[in-house]
Amino acid sequence: MEITLLQGLLILLVAFICAMDQTFEAFYWFRPMVVGFLTGLALGDVTLGVKCGAVTELSYLGLLTVGGTVPPDPLMAGIMTVVLAHTTGQSPEAAVGLSLPFALLAQWVGIGFNTGYVVIAHKCDEYAAKADAKGLFNLVWFAVIFKAAVVALVAFLCSFALQGPIQSFVNTFPTWLVHGFEIAGGLLPAVGLGMLLMVMLKKENLAYLFLGFVMATFLALPNVLPVAITAAALAYINYAHEKKIDEAKVSIEAANEGGEIDGI
Amino acid sequence: MRVVRLMASNENTERKLSKKDIHRMGLLSIGMQGGFSFERMQAPGFTMSMLPTFQKLYGDSEKDLSEFMTYNMQFMNTEMHMGAFLMGLIISMEERREDRNLIAGIRNGLFGPFAGLGDAIFWFTLLPISAAICCSLAQEGSVLGPLLYMGIWFVAAISRMWFAELGYTVGQKFVENIGESTKYLTEAAGILGMMVVGGLIPSYVSLAFSDTLVFGIGGTTVQSVFDGILPNMLPLGFVFLTYWLFRKDANVLVVILGIIVFGILMALLGWM
Repeated sequence: MEITLLQGLLILLVAFICAMDQTFEAFYWFRPMVVGFLTGLALGDVTLGVKCGAVTELSYLGLLTVGGTVPPDPLMAGIMTVVLAHTTGQSPEAAVGLSLPFALLAQWVGIGFNTGYVVIAHKCDEYAAKADAKGLFNLVWFAVIFKAAVVALVAFLCSFALQGPIQSFVNTFPTWLVHGFEIAGGLLPAVGLGMLLMVMLKKENLAYLFLGFVMATFLALPNVLPVAITAAALAYINYAHEKKIDEAKVSIEAANEGGEIDGI
Repeated sequence: MRVVRLMASNENTERKLSKKDIHRMGLLSIGMQGGFSFERMQAPGFTMSMLPTFQKLYGDSEKDLSEFMTYNMQFMNTEMHMGAFLMGLIISMEERREDRNLIAGIRNGLFGPFAGLGDAIFWFTLLPISAAICCSLAQEGSVLGPLLYMGIWFVAAISRMWFAELGYTVGQKFVENIGESTKYLTEAAGILGMMVVGGLIPSYVSLAFSDTLVFGIGGTTVQSVFDGILPNMLPLGFVFLTYWLFRKDANVLVVILGIIVFGILMALLGWM
């Protein structure tokens, strides 16, 4: 079945709302389970939408955002699985596979934003220097809305107008360019951490950075919590030490003063 | 001692936050990932979420506002609910006029470990369980599946209010006892922060040569040589390289553009 313009516009609306929530990671409307349901509503076939949503949700459950990586986009996968099942009459299981190029395209859009929005962070630095709270506040919300609008437009084009051309575009897209941005995406957090070190790094604390690094590298830890607990323990040992020294200093000073008084 | 310090440091001490203010901040923290970028990650949204509440405390004091925005624009990446908790903690300390170096130290030391905690609760427990239950309902086409899913995550979304409140309460209890030990706590926060940053480098920064890049024909891979010396030495070295560049007053945007060019070049050459 063909997608009508009205259905296309409804999908645009669904994509816009869900893409905002994808930034929020709050109501989980960006997950295929909900996106599929809403796309089904837009197409007037709720049962199909729900079924497709369930299948896609299970397929994308393993692909979680960890650190700064961006997996194939679950939002676009949810929309396109329903759209493709609706237009081609394929089963939901087959449609998930067909939706992958679109999920990849949305993933690239995501990588593009995560790179391009470096500019937003730097603009926010300027606002911070000028104490312009309103400027920062508005810019952050502009960033949310602009990103959602672009994703919605992509979803509209994918589902309504340019399904075929986009599929072939994704297939012929120079993957080295995408990979190049992936490599850059893996390195950019170093800029953030480097700036953090500019503020935090003191010579006497440098050893702790290496301790944390070695733990995380060699202990196959599930997260950074064990490092933090060790750090807290070391910080306590350091505190107990310092306190003893400071107390000793105070008592020596007191003793000295006392001595002087005695001397008089 | 404490009273004297408070009076001397700020005249606006009568301004207090209500529970409603904290809840509002928790809800606003839904926008915490606005303006997300690889470089600073959640910093813009994290700062944005606290601004209205902070302004309620400090009014239009430009110096305070600028200091507050600046230290919060530092790198931030944590789980969203834990982010709301952290905001509550930060705001409670700002309310008590604690030293901002101490607050920033605690902020930078805690976001990483909190991310692990929050991910364990929400990403790795609630998401798979809710998805499994709702998918089994939805596979037959029942609308109950997505509706239940939306219901579960609606509660999870607004629970940010309570996470913020919890952080604020914990902060108040904790801050009460700080008094004269600020010096020790600042040191402890420094240790925690540095060690956590060290621990984050292997998972946050990735830099490795491709397995197909070998010495000579059929020789050992370049990456295995680096791994043989010290695994993750390239990410570690790269963080220090950027640090060194910033120490030399390098322009941040130039560094970022350099990284993008480097990435594309490496991909073209097939080295990574």
